[in-house]
Amino acid sequence: MTFSPIDWIIVVAYLAFSVAIGMIGRRYVGSVSHYLVAGRELGVYVGIATLAATEIGTITFMYNAELGYRYGFAAFVAALISGLVMIIIGRTGFVISRFRALRLMTVPEFFELKYSRGLRLFTGTLVALGGILNMGVFLRIEGEFLTVVSGINAKYLVMVMTIILLLELLYTVVGGMVSIVITDFVQYVLLSTATILISLYAVFHAGWHNIVSKVATTMGNAGFNPIASPKFGLTFIVWQILLWFSIHTCWQTTAMRMFSTKDPETSKKVMTWTGFIFLGRGMLPMLWGIAALTMLGTGVTRGGVPLPVLHGHVLEPIDAMPAMLGSILGPGIKGIVVAGMLAATMSVNSSYLLGWSSVISQDIIMPARQVLGKAPLTSRRQILVNRVANLFVGLFLMFWGLYYTPPGAVYLYLNVTGTIFLAGAFVSVIGGLYWKRANVTGGYMAMLMGAVGVIVPFFFLHWSENLTGFTAFTLAAAGLIAGSLLGRPATFEAAETETA
Amino acid sequence: MNYWLVFWTGALVVAGFSFAFITAIVTVKGYSDLIQMFRRLTAHGKEDRE
Repeated sequence: MTFSPIDWIIVVAYLAFSVAIGMIGRRYVGSVSHYLVAGRELGVYVGIATLAATEIGTITFMYNAELGYRYGFAAFVAALISGLVMIIIGRTGFVISRFRALRLMTVPEFFELKYSRGLRLFTGTLVALGGILNMGVFLRIEGEFLTVVSGINAKYLVMVMTIILLLELLYTVVGGMVSIVITDFVQYVLLSTATILISLYAVFHAGWHNIVSKVATTMGNAGFNPIASPKFGLTFIVWQILLWFSIHTCWQTTAMRMFSTKDPETSKKVMTWTGFIFLGRGMLPMLWGIAALTMLGTGVTRGGVPLPVLHGHVLEPIDAMPAMLGSILGPGIKGIVVAGMLAATMSVNSSYLLGWSSVISQDIIMPARQVLGKAPLTSRRQILVNRVANLFVGLFLMFWGLYYTPPGAVYLYLNVTGTIFLAGAFVSVIGGLYWKRANVTGGYMAMLMGAVGVIVPFFFLHWSENLTGFTAFTLAAAGLIAGSLLGRPATFEAAETETA
Repeated sequence: MNYWLVFWTGALVVAGFSFAFITAIVTVKGYSDLIQMFRRLTAHGKEDRE
């Protein structure tokens, strides 16, 4: 189960190569737009690579595999929705074309254009808070994956997390988006190879017939039919459709890729083709989770599924997939797979570090300076502020990851924490771009009611994730409409008049 | 159950093949995209200095 010397050589060589090519980005960073949106020079293919690499990480594999383990084939509905929604957005250009035409660098920046500086500051604070808390669980889960697969003693988890973070920070701080795009390209190729390899290995070892039989005997019809599954159902489907529309348009790291493309047409192509990748991004790891259930699901039943057991040790469902990989992958292949997972980890985390730190610098610190009457910062100073914010976010992640363990399925935790700001932000963006009556009062009410619509039902009333998410979007929409009809009409026309 | 199994099997096959196919295309064509991006960023840098 432990790493062989050839595995270590592959992993260390990959890490050294990845950091070395990431440092190349430094020589191309001349201004803040180079640092944050790669000078808006992304073409279609590298755009697909960086968007896919940003949204496919070890954390993605872990939570999707956990969903597959717990809910069987019915979990595929979440992957299907995420991919189809992305394809629809790409084909229609819904939100993303207008966003790109406005030449934004962050999502909250739109709130100043359409609404007010105050609302940008408020939205920026909510986005940064929700985004960083959301990312806060990444390091621990990624560290768990690496220790379980490689067989490293669990007491070295903190050290593994620290090394991953320091390597990511190194090239992200130095080269910003340019470095991230370069490393994302390499990381995308490696993580995709690992994804395909693992899928073949998992089905080969577990056996397709055994996989289907295990789900049927363990979960019955609910393991296949998402409407019949007690965890999913129609409210889940409606919430997921709304959530994925909001993620693909307003999630800072995804939006930054759209802002970085050469023109609105390129952004549409990138989004469409990445939508097809998103189908595999969800379904393939879910399949690994179901294969892990088939091979290791022999423990006592909890929550309707047997707990995974490996060599007599009872594990949590989220650790079933890495435990399965550790036991079925041979020397050399294990090294390639772990290097692929490290690639996935680094591409996601570096992009998220830049994404959330850019919101802190551009949407909290800059507007706050303007409100206080201070002179605007030069491009160089803005890059410096970004770098410091990057370090701050990195440090916070270390400490939060060590002390916080998410309750329940990680996928649902991430969705709920994201909804805190996504519900209001998505509704306000739609209103701002497509409804002339939308105004500042409506924007504030949407952000407030969206956040309250998550926090109160989920944390205090203990409603289900599905109902909570659905409620948050409904309240945010109601807030925007009510506030806009009560307040004065807006005068914004930028979305229609500005060009790329 | 059978209907859902057929549906998810089909979806899985489409997802797997799309994933592998797009990866192959992006791997081949992405490199030239990167080189073009470097050239344009270098040109921007020179314009900024001038």
